[in-house]
Amino acid sequence: MKHQSQTYSEEHLLFLKKRRGRLALIWILRLGLLALLFGIWELVTSLGLVDSFITSSPSRMLATIGGLYEDGTLFYHIGTTLWETLAGFAISTVLGYGIALALWWSETLRSVLEPYIVVLNALPKIALGPLIIVWFGTGSKAILVMTVLVGLIVAILHMLSAFIATDKNKLLLLRSMGASKVQILTKLVVPSSLPAFISMLKVNVGMAWIGSIMGEYIVSKAGLGYLIVYGGQVFKLDLVMSATLILCILAAGMYFLVVLLEKLLVKNTEQ
Amino acid sequence: MKKEILRFTDVGLIYHTVHGETVAAEHLSFSVQEGEFVAIIGPSGCGKTTLLSLAAGLLKPSSGKVESCGSFGYMLQKDELFPWRTIRKNVYLPLEIKKQNTAEHRERAIGLAEKYGLGEFLESYPSELSGGMRQRAALIRTLATDPDILLLDEPFSALDYQTRLNVAVDVSQIIRSEGKTALLITHDISEAVSLADRVLVLTKRPARVSHEHTLDFDSPNPLKRREMQGFSGWFEILWKELNG
Repeated sequence: MKHQSQTYSEEHLLFLKKRRGRLALIWILRLGLLALLFGIWELVTSLGLVDSFITSSPSRMLATIGGLYEDGTLFYHIGTTLWETLAGFAISTVLGYGIALALWWSETLRSVLEPYIVVLNALPKIALGPLIIVWFGTGSKAILVMTVLVGLIVAILHMLSAFIATDKNKLLLLRSMGASKVQILTKLVVPSSLPAFISMLKVNVGMAWIGSIMGEYIVSKAGLGYLIVYGGQVFKLDLVMSATLILCILAAGMYFLVVLLEKLLVKNTEQ
Repeated sequence: MKKEILRFTDVGLIYHTVHGETVAAEHLSFSVQEGEFVAIIGPSGCGKTTLLSLAAGLLKPSSGKVESCGSFGYMLQKDELFPWRTIRKNVYLPLEIKKQNTAEHRERAIGLAEKYGLGEFLESYPSELSGGMRQRAALIRTLATDPDILLLDEPFSALDYQTRLNVAVDVSQIIRSEGKTALLITHDISEAVSLADRVLVLTKRPARVSHEHTLDFDSPNPLKRREMQGFSGWFEILWKELNG
């Protein structure tokens, strides 16, 4: 099935046009829904139907974000959270992948460590909050540790199950060629688990945000999680809503980056 | 007299699981001569794949001896081409594994691929090829390291009937024109009769050779053989022996 450049039939051109039309319609509806929600929100608060002190409103959020921008703290808070999240995401991904490889390599190690991993997975990481503060202080370091902890176990379990699920017949084929364990790893286990790696990244992006924001709730002096907690404490719901909105945009952006990466990496894994 | 390339002498194999042990083979003896095409047929669950694993040295026998001189190429039921590699890279795989990835070996392997009609698909991915072409690519991959003996584990059973006949012709021609020794394991009697020089019949577990026949066809072509007079006779004999 080679892709050929050729002239298409009228019918096919019509089909393509219809498909493009439908895609455009979906996007118009998506953006329309967003505009509608924000419009209603703005309307009911400006008419005084609901108290904008409690619910905030789009215009008040815009003003709050503008205010943050003017006093120069907007990008400081965004940068702090973004750094914690990205660094935590990178460390938990790399460390998780490495540990999963080690566990795949040694069945004995896997058997010995299994109950520990199960317990660590079940443990709500926030319970370790006080310990982390005592051990790592009240700065960004503590939040980074929390972020890594939240993502790490999930990354390990996700990759390990993918490594173990490597096609038995392909393993047999490589063994019949006399492949060493390193060769089996590099020629088969790692490339065939690429789709699992991508799905692990997708899960771990979410985990990193949970970790960093949760960390900022417990202990922080800056960041979007800090703004949300602070805003809640002093009843500035505008600040809470604004920071939440920025979080939504950043989290979505990071997720789409992973999807983009997937498109670049996963081309020929379908059987 | 031709050279013996593989010999099983009084081989026994016991499988161990938590729930007990299974005697997979007992007093199993046979040999394969150089250049021969031997087919082994047996009832399902008689441990045919085990036998190939023993031959390839992936399993050690519990008793008896497996002796071989020469290198092996293993071909499985499915093509097991790596979907993330092009056909060219798939053909190179055994060279990489055996650290023979030199220009000379690569050229030889690609020469084979071109000779047997895979030239235009070298840069394609397996998903772009038909089932028959994929199995052919798998055979070329098996031949890439120039093995002395080919172990074929029901290599056609995953294909539909039409493709299966064509691929059998294909594989038989390639193996014979390259002068390779082949050991085919199958449960399909007609496949064994259409392809092999010699057929061994295995018993139910524990597996051992119950009958042995040298086939007297004057053509190695599987399709021609299927039309020959002797074909149904051999089929009947083997069918009775398998079920007897």
